[in-house]
Amino acid sequence: MIEGIFVEGLIYSIMALGVFFTFRILDFPDLTVDGSFPMGAVIMAACLHQGVNPVSGLVMAFSGGVMAGVVTAEIHNRLKVPHLLAGILTMTMLYSVNIRILSNRANLPLLRVDTILTKLHAWSDGFIPPEWASLIFFILVVIVIKKGLDLFFITDMGLMFGALGNNEQMVRTQGVNPAILKSIGVGLSNGLVALSGAFAAQYQGFADVNLGQGIVVSGLASVMLGEFLLRSNRISILTLRVVLGTILFKAIMYLGRYYGYYINMTPNDLKLIAGILIIISLAAANIRNRKEKARS
Amino acid sequence: MIRLEKIKKTFGLGTAGEKTVIRNLDIVVEKGDFITVVGSNGAGKTTLFNLISGSIFPTQGKILIKGKEVTQDPEYKRAKAIGRIFQDPLAGTASNMTLEDNMMITSNKGFKWPWISLTRTMRQSFQEQVKQLEMGLESRLKENVNTLSGGQRQALTLLMTVTSNPDILLLDEHTAALDPRNAKIVMDLTKRFINEKGLTTLMVTHNMNHAIEFGNRLIMMDQGEIIIDVKQEAKKQLTKQRLIEMFSEIKKRDFENDEVLLTS
Repeated sequence: MIEGIFVEGLIYSIMALGVFFTFRILDFPDLTVDGSFPMGAVIMAACLHQGVNPVSGLVMAFSGGVMAGVVTAEIHNRLKVPHLLAGILTMTMLYSVNIRILSNRANLPLLRVDTILTKLHAWSDGFIPPEWASLIFFILVVIVIKKGLDLFFITDMGLMFGALGNNEQMVRTQGVNPAILKSIGVGLSNGLVALSGAFAAQYQGFADVNLGQGIVVSGLASVMLGEFLLRSNRISILTLRVVLGTILFKAIMYLGRYYGYYINMTPNDLKLIAGILIIISLAAANIRNRKEKARS
Repeated sequence: MIRLEKIKKTFGLGTAGEKTVIRNLDIVVEKGDFITVVGSNGAGKTTLFNLISGSIFPTQGKILIKGKEVTQDPEYKRAKAIGRIFQDPLAGTASNMTLEDNMMITSNKGFKWPWISLTRTMRQSFQEQVKQLEMGLESRLKENVNTLSGGQRQALTLLMTVTSNPDILLLDEHTAALDPRNAKIVMDLTKRFINEKGLTTLMVTHNMNHAIEFGNRLIMMDQGEIIIDVKQEAKKQLTKQRLIEMFSEIKKRDFENDEVLLTS
């Protein structure tokens, strides 16, 4: 069970990194996530059923997510629609798109096809137990993505995203069109989210169009929990704490799921818990800020 | 360098709140000019800057920068030629990023690709640059900009803007929000940078002494028009007293004209 928490935490941390990118770096609260996460899952499932190899499937899922993000950003840019509404529009449209991708089905099991995990287990069979092989695999995947993001955020373009989230005027003054940056940023973020969805589908053994319900809230809760663990302004620490926050969030959800019945809790209450976690985090951050202001 | 031809700007065109803030404005700014812009609130000074930088577009007229028409170009397209500093010291920097990140962002203009330019040599050159400010910032490159005071931030913004080598520098009351000591420091730096680089500059100020002391040309705006334009030698001779006299003369004449209109 303990490795289950870590594996799930790692898979969802890819999504949380995407949420961190839009909410914290770009200051573009993006709700597309609720649609792009299952989109990644259903693209992956559809690919696997068509006999596409899993790595190409992951690439397709990532690309699908990027497109979803770009749609949201362009709705916002061109029609001057607030970002929240633009995200909700795309998310709602994606629900239908996702059902289409699954050939008019709401879910698709992945039990009889070769996923990236079954391939991995076939290879590691004999010297590492499958759960541990999954754990090692996802640790490596998350390290690669995290390191890639760390590098990306210190490139000239990556720094521009920080500037955009802080001060859009500064971006314009630098001769860069903020609209293009938003499309790239929200696109990449949703690419990560869809990638996370593709891994989640393979780990759970099915893809479901309802997989994304409330995912943005859980991502945000993970990001916020992480912010209580470590304090820094270095990007490598900021991304690290997103990963740690997600694992912590998953651990709390596990406790809720397995031991919640002691206090009459059912798995249906978990979304309520996620929301309450966010509210507690916001309140705690408020109190901390006020204290710091009083001190300075 | 900049040429504005018959510019008119009306806000809320066709509504009950229609208001013309710039009327029939013509001005030619030569390369190397340092123009101080004065005028009461609502005279159209900031609107003039917004028109030049492209954050708003004129209702009528043409804007040329470096001989090229840019009247309908959005702000980010003109930004390569223009460095603008606002009154708000927070407007020129990204608060939650480090000094070196901020300096990296502004070190060159135009679209940024995902490669890493923030190298050790870059950091060293940033260190050299901030030393010019004499504020002890060279040891704080890895701190976030929001830990700096307003004066330090505005000085840093000025440095970053100047080192990005704009053709035109627009200063919109950039010392007005600072305390007198910091305002003086930033003003001295401004003078130094403009002299060193020979930047074409427009500076809005409410400080009459600054307006007279600095620059080679002074314009006064009133109700969306340039009513006084003093250049070169005449500018050198200009005193505060003389400026006030000129202003009241023009106002009186206007007033008489209005009366003539009303009676006829």
